[in-house]
Amino acid sequence: MATAVAEASVGAGLRASLTRNRRWALIASYASLIVFVIFFLFPPYYMLITSLKTNKEIAELSTNPWIIEKGITFQHYFSLLMDTGFPIYFRNTIIVTICVVAITMVVSILAAYALSRLKFWGAGVLATGVFLTYLVPDSLLFIPLFEIVGALGLLDTYWVLVLVYPTLTVPFCTWIMIGYFSSIPKELDEAALIDGANHMQMLIKVFVPVALPGIIAAMIFAFTVSWASFLYPLAYIFTEDQMVLTVGTVTTLIKGDVFHWGGLMAGALLAAAPPVIIYAFLMDYYIAGLTSGATKG
Amino acid sequence: MALTKQTRRRFLKGAAATAAFTATAPYIKTAYSAGTLSLGLWDHWVPGANDVMERICVDWGKANNVDVHVDFITSIGNKLLLTAQAETRAETGHDVYCVPLWLVSMFRDSLVPLDDVVQEIESRHGKLVPSAWFLGNIDGVWRGAPAPTGSLSYANVSRADLYLDHAGIDLKAIFPANGDRDPALVDSWTYDAFLEAAEKLHAAGHPFGAAIAPAPDASAWLSTLFTAYGVKLVDESGDITVDSDETREVLDYLSRLTQFMDPGVYAWDDAGNNRWLISGTGSAIFNPPSAWAVAKRDNPDVAQHVWHHDAPRGPAGRYRAATPFFWGAWQFSPNVSAAKDLFLHVASPEVVTEMLQASQGFDLPLVEAYYESNDIWSTATPPDGVLYNYPIRGDEVQSVAGYPAPPEIASAIATQGVFPNLVARVTQGGDSFDDAIGWAENELEGLMRG
Amino acid sequence: MATTIAIDASGDGTLTQRSAFWLFMRRKSTIGVLMVLPLLAIIAGLVAYPAGYSMFLSTLNKAETKFVGFANYLFLFKRETFWMVVQQSIIFALVAVVGKAFIGFVAAHAVNTIPTKGQRKWRGMMLIPWVIPPALSTLGWWWLFEPTYSAINWVLAEIGVDAIPWLSDTFWARFSVILVNIWIGAPFFLIMYLAALKSIPEELYEAAAIDGANAWQRLYHITLPMMRNIIAITVLFSIIVTFANFDIVRVLTQGGPRDSTHLFATYAFRVGIESNDIPLGASVSLFMFPVLAVLAFLILRNVRKRAMEL
Repeated sequence: MATAVAEASVGAGLRASLTRNRRWALIASYASLIVFVIFFLFPPYYMLITSLKTNKEIAELSTNPWIIEKGITFQHYFSLLMDTGFPIYFRNTIIVTICVVAITMVVSILAAYALSRLKFWGAGVLATGVFLTYLVPDSLLFIPLFEIVGALGLLDTYWVLVLVYPTLTVPFCTWIMIGYFSSIPKELDEAALIDGANHMQMLIKVFVPVALPGIIAAMIFAFTVSWASFLYPLAYIFTEDQMVLTVGTVTTLIKGDVFHWGGLMAGALLAAAPPVIIYAFLMDYYIAGLTSGATKG
Repeated sequence: MALTKQTRRRFLKGAAATAAFTATAPYIKTAYSAGTLSLGLWDHWVPGANDVMERICVDWGKANNVDVHVDFITSIGNKLLLTAQAETRAETGHDVYCVPLWLVSMFRDSLVPLDDVVQEIESRHGKLVPSAWFLGNIDGVWRGAPAPTGSLSYANVSRADLYLDHAGIDLKAIFPANGDRDPALVDSWTYDAFLEAAEKLHAAGHPFGAAIAPAPDASAWLSTLFTAYGVKLVDESGDITVDSDETREVLDYLSRLTQFMDPGVYAWDDAGNNRWLISGTGSAIFNPPSAWAVAKRDNPDVAQHVWHHDAPRGPAGRYRAATPFFWGAWQFSPNVSAAKDLFLHVASPEVVTEMLQASQGFDLPLVEAYYESNDIWSTATPPDGVLYNYPIRGDEVQSVAGYPAPPEIASAIATQGVFPNLVARVTQGGDSFDDAIGWAENELEGLMRG
Repeated sequence: MATTIAIDASGDGTLTQRSAFWLFMRRKSTIGVLMVLPLLAIIAGLVAYPAGYSMFLSTLNKAETKFVGFANYLFLFKRETFWMVVQQSIIFALVAVVGKAFIGFVAAHAVNTIPTKGQRKWRGMMLIPWVIPPALSTLGWWWLFEPTYSAINWVLAEIGVDAIPWLSDTFWARFSVILVNIWIGAPFFLIMYLAALKSIPEELYEAAAIDGANAWQRLYHITLPMMRNIIAITVLFSIIVTFANFDIVRVLTQGGPRDSTHLFATYAFRVGIESNDIPLGASVSLFMFPVLAVLAFLILRNVRKRAMEL
């Protein structure tokens, strides 16, 4: 193209100026990255520092709050794990999250396949409807849901979260999957249909493997939502052995007008660990899946 | 569904009353009772208090052949209230539920009448405190029985050393840890004296601190101040009476007082004043003994100078904000008779005393006579006698934010934070008194919805 | 599609073209309906029904004993506080989303500029706020802002700046809740934009450089047009989520000072749950719909347009 011609004719002078521009761009980039990383990481850093201070130092006003001056203590972590329901909350959160992710994926993959490939009557309207669901905030739903939850006998069990979290995850995940499935060439289905596959086989053998990055992205999304959700457990769970991490950490460690800051921060950091690990390993899929869902939807 | 709430009420009063008066006899299972009772109780902040509470209830259950299950629900994030909403709407959950402060009035349609129980408690142990009557007895019907834990009041909590050094006021002499008060000295403890001291302490770097923010503590201390100046936002008959000379006077007082307070008070939550005192900066707050108790753990140097005592006196009297806690029984509960038995049991002096010990004096009994019969407040230390004046010992009158408006409106005044909002409009937002009062009138009108 | 039908029909010799076609259609739609059934059940039972019930609740009086029509809405229109909530929700959503989009865009650019080797590390560090459950990280922020112990004010004091009333002054409280929202949400924009940047062919930039385009021109004429779609989608989605935010304001300010930081969700909680006026709370929540409906329209139009482009 034009590039080759231009490069040949202009030659070394241009390359030098490009290098100079590149150097400035690099400096500017690193400078802004450092600023951003400080902005993004100073709160978690402070949480970590606080979680390692003694109660006395946390209550102290004369010391530098950003460093530990009076000795590191792991007391807050120990008492969180030994004396509180934290391990139970952790277990419950894991159970809830696994169930929600599984339900979400089954429901949204099935629906996305039907909506993107099986053009039945009302499919278009339904796709729009799924989209609109995303607009209904949980703060509107949680009060009427009390009665449904109560009628099902699920109030104050973590299974209620398995029931209601999909309302937060399914619409978006279906949307990601519709985007992904639409990007799969139609020739693939045709080939599979010639081979005599039915729709279920085609979905499992052809679509799922091809759309794996999208599926992983949707799973991470569902995971994040059900791991971090606050309002539903706040409203529906009140027994210690049914509690999940977000609400449990707050309610265990704030007693009346007494805040156990060290423990709160320790709890927040421990609660954040599983998502951090998952993102660290699967982020590339997440990015690929989300963006293709968003751009190709 | 909600429309038929009234018709679905179960009037168990007759059957339940019989059970209530046979409390000393072994509990007899009725057709209604499945022999189980689940309790949703307030999650106590004092370590160990929950365990004692649970043991008392379970032991009672064993003795009476009732299978008792206890859950402790925190009031943080208004979870206690949220859970009450959840259970009454879902019509399932606990049998017995802790309903502090306004919750009795809010859930009056879902709570079983407890006239028989409370009358029996009063006849056995003596009269309940006035705030309990105001909050637990709705339209002439008791819907809450006194809870053995949780009830608190907002004492004036001061650093006696700082007051002595910087303001020349010896609080320990005015409010000694025994019955020998000098009335003249007590009379000198007025809001004007308080303001004068606040100025000096502010100058010395130790300001007074109290929340003027959407937190229950803020409504508590501000409402007592307003009441001490004779202000009623809404009167007994439900008329809006905020537009008065008294209101202007108290707003004027507060615009002077807030000059000597930390600007952070507009963002304090209920723990803001605790941290203020514990940090060693603050000289005075209005609070139950929790601030002192935590200071004992985290900053003993501060704790040993703390003194709990009476609120200052205003032109219309001396008031102390109170937050009584009740237990109620939901109407959907199949075991109301057992619940009533339990209410009687936990109101006994033995249980209340045991809980007082467990809570280190934080809980105030709702039966007036119990104040005299317990020495927990005289023996708390350091310093010796720090809690003696935590129960009302002098001429203080209990008050509740929003009193004396009808409970429905008073509770909205408290929960919507009308007091702190009105004050902050003037002292922080710079509104004129008239503008702020005009806003309050509009807001109060909005709370009148039927 | 036509090929598929023909093949399928021809595979079954006993049927005529026509009836085989209808049979196939029926089978396909039956399967389709069966496959979306779980989704339908979730939406109908757990979203549509409760949402409808909320609308019904919003037409009752406070004690839920009487039908009052639109009286709750008319009541809200007359309340100063309500209009403040409307105003604050809009400011909050717009400023926060613009902030997130801007920071995400700049950060994505910066990451994309540096050598590929180090990109993962920087990206990973900047993703952390997005990963901590918001209710808990907001508590951390609150501890940073707390009037007596504020560690940020400690730093300001060290460099000789007056303490900032982060949560007690109406302006700063609004600033703080927006700041925390940006902090939590910006990493999401970062990764979305980063992926979009990576999909822009390098040749476009090289060609532009040779044509003498400076950095701004390249940004304006290549990067922005190429990223238009993804910017639109992320911004619209983010507005929806930000608009309905509950955790941050609830934990940080509880709506104060003087109700100035209330959003629809927190104000609905205040009047509905805390003041026990559930019909009014439901009415407040429902007010989010008109705004969100406009956004939905925009998104759907966008999605359809892109579908046609495909």
